[in-house]
Amino acid sequence: MSVDAVIPTVLMENTSKWYDQVIGLNDVSLAIDGGVTGILGLNGAGKSTLFKLLMGRLKPSQGSVRLFGIDPWKDTSPYRRIGYVSESERLYDWMTAQDFVSTLARLHGMTREEANERAEHVLRFVGLHDVRHKEIGKYSKGMRQRVKIAHALVHDPDLLILDEPLHGCDPIARTSIMNVIRELGSQGKTVLVSSHILEEIERITEQIVILHNGRLLALGNLHAIRGLLDKHPHRIMLTTDEPRKLASAFISEKPIYGVRFPDDGKLEIQTNNLSEAHSVLPRVIVESKIAVTSIDNPDDNLESLLGYLVGGDT
Amino acid sequence: MDEKGRALSETVWTRLDRKAGAIVELTIRQLRHRISTWVVFGVGMLLMVMLLAFYIDSIRDDFDSIDNDGDSEDPDGDGYPIGQENKYGTDNYNKFSYPGYPHFIFENDIDWNDQPRTHTGNHTWVNVVGYFTPTWINYDPPIWDQWSETVAWNDVEVCSDENSDFDSNLRWGTACKFDNGTYQMYGIGFIAEGTLEVPDGYSASWGRLTDYVEIDPDPASMYIDEDDIDWDFKLGTSSQGFDDDGDCLKIGWIDSQGNPIQENMDQNRNGIPCDVIWTVNDLGEIISISADSSVDEDPDDSKFLGESSHRTFIIGTGKIAFVMILGLFLPLFLALGLIRDETENGTLHYLLSKPIHRAEFILYRLLGYLTLVGTFVFIMVFMMSLVTSVIGPGDDLIRLGDFPVWLGIAFATILVLAAYGAVFNTLGLISPKYGVYICIIFGVWEFLMGLFTITIPNATIPVLSVSHWGIQMIDAVVLIVWPDTLQYQEMSSAFNLETGISFFWHPPVHTLQTGNPVVALIVSIVLLLVVTILMIGMSQAVFRNQEIM
Repeated sequence: MSVDAVIPTVLMENTSKWYDQVIGLNDVSLAIDGGVTGILGLNGAGKSTLFKLLMGRLKPSQGSVRLFGIDPWKDTSPYRRIGYVSESERLYDWMTAQDFVSTLARLHGMTREEANERAEHVLRFVGLHDVRHKEIGKYSKGMRQRVKIAHALVHDPDLLILDEPLHGCDPIARTSIMNVIRELGSQGKTVLVSSHILEEIERITEQIVILHNGRLLALGNLHAIRGLLDKHPHRIMLTTDEPRKLASAFISEKPIYGVRFPDDGKLEIQTNNLSEAHSVLPRVIVESKIAVTSIDNPDDNLESLLGYLVGGDT
Repeated sequence: MDEKGRALSETVWTRLDRKAGAIVELTIRQLRHRISTWVVFGVGMLLMVMLLAFYIDSIRDDFDSIDNDGDSEDPDGDGYPIGQENKYGTDNYNKFSYPGYPHFIFENDIDWNDQPRTHTGNHTWVNVVGYFTPTWINYDPPIWDQWSETVAWNDVEVCSDENSDFDSNLRWGTACKFDNGTYQMYGIGFIAEGTLEVPDGYSASWGRLTDYVEIDPDPASMYIDEDDIDWDFKLGTSSQGFDDDGDCLKIGWIDSQGNPIQENMDQNRNGIPCDVIWTVNDLGEIISISADSSVDEDPDDSKFLGESSHRTFIIGTGKIAFVMILGLFLPLFLALGLIRDETENGTLHYLLSKPIHRAEFILYRLLGYLTLVGTFVFIMVFMMSLVTSVIGPGDDLIRLGDFPVWLGIAFATILVLAAYGAVFNTLGLISPKYGVYICIIFGVWEFLMGLFTITIPNATIPVLSVSHWGIQMIDAVVLIVWPDTLQYQEMSSAFNLETGISFFWHPPVHTLQTGNPVVALIVSIVLLLVVTILMIGMSQAVFRNQEIM
């Protein structure tokens, strides 16, 4: 425990990685320890490069990478304690989930019996126990994603790295994967999970790292970062049969400074304090007795956040 | 083994079983799930089945006895084979000349200037030119091919006055009769008693015609495989071989005149008529054979041709089908992508995100590949050895002696597969895009060097190829298991019996001057292992520094 307290699980110091002329990661320094951390960034922001550096697949062009204090490019011993779910969707389709997970478990030095036992255990954990003897090729996208997570968990790692684990999953799979990640975080494991969708990360963790164009843009509590964002102009889109009647009910509310009717049956309300606007929203709708079929925050996304953070227009 | 020892060995085994076993198993299962694996296995199997069909069809047929010296034939159709006609000095190409047929035995003649010029007696007269006054005439002489023209006794023309001398008008082979009963003969043969007068300047011979003896024709089979190679090689004596059918010694044989035959029966000039000289080196290996003509010239084919064709088939199959064809094609399809395909499929990271060194990973991958192709090779070898040793020549139900050679072929193939596998895997790693082309060029080189090795075993350049050492291994194993292969090879040239064994097999070359095949075997194994290990080391070095995107 004392060693882990001194040496962070993940440590990057001035790490850069470039591919020929293209910069993948630019002078990133960070230390991550304990709980779930979301790695946010648009496509090409450097999330996968960062993970590949951590997994020893790439060699840093500059700076250093340490997992549990060890350089993963030179030494594979940290992988005893790490589980990795790559963004790649390729799997051995001809294998059953049980086979796949137990085969890879044996690479951790488990015997056949131990590996089988552990595979069964983790497949139950990710909710694939019933179908574990089916070929992976017959799985849905969400199930495939969960097989990948199961293989990463099979040796009960201290650090779990998940590259876009929710990508392409349907809402049910999404929810169950998020539950798994939250559960792991609550078990005290260090979990790194990347996404380009703010909402996803928000539902899992508050601790985030934001990457943009290979640079580390922000690091810290999502709510704090979000709070900054709230003070900026935001739009809330409502779908209703009587947009104009509803607009009149909103216009007198303090955080709302404007309304617009972009489409038939749509009402856009404009605010510069998103959280306050959200707090008045239910009351106004209830009092107006107008049926609202959906509420949407088109600005509540990573692009807007990044736009705000980099200070430009997005 | 005590409890503790067993526990220890179990620990070592399960530890090994964990990582290595997992990757080996995964590799095998992966390869088994690829169509190309089964296609290349299927083609390999087909090749072997075709070879077997060829073996059963043609080589097996050739085991039937062959009349190597051709003396069982009867070209003139008189019912007597050449071998039998030779004994009696009759003409092989004249159907009226056959054993038992009468011989003319010469007694005397009147030459052109002999004196006196008359002779009286009861004879067989031949080539008579003169006047013959008969007291008895054999009007029905036996058929004999060497008669000169004979007389049509009951229809002889009357001599005219002009015929009183032999000047001009008479044709050779004609006769006429004077009124006084005297015949004028010009080049005539006949059997009669009487007085012959030969004019000056002419000649006539007489003698006796032997009786016609009925001799049964020998069956042709008597002249097939009738003079076998005398195998029982006796150390210390170079003179071996015996003229079983007597057609060198020719004791009791006569020529067409009925005289005994006198011939040089010692062409190899060792003072012993009708034998074979076997020259042996210090190791007891036969290095040359020199036979007197017509000795051991028609050997038992199921013994010599059968045996040496059988060996040729095994050696040729081992070298070309196993080492050169399977050896090259299996790794081209199965080893080239061992790592490369994982990178391309994007599944490599599953394996490399585990606590396993990349170097270790390559080794286990190759082991997996080798286990699969090794099993295939063993199955093929087993199939080939079983079929050929059951239907091969020999009296035994199964030729057990072949199995060590087949085993040697299997090991040579597996070592070659290991070396090529390591080479191809490395090339696939170094250049994922062009590796396959480099491998094909390399494969062509290896194939050519293999052919060179087979035809010119002591050429220098093929030493730089893997196939050379695989082939060398087979050469060495053959000499160890069948030391008399050298003898077969010499016999094939000495007795002019071409079976291909001299083409497909040569004594191993790399014996470090000892001439010992075991040395050649060890040298070959060591070299193949060195190539494999070097190549694995190279791929490990490349892979360790490769970034996986």
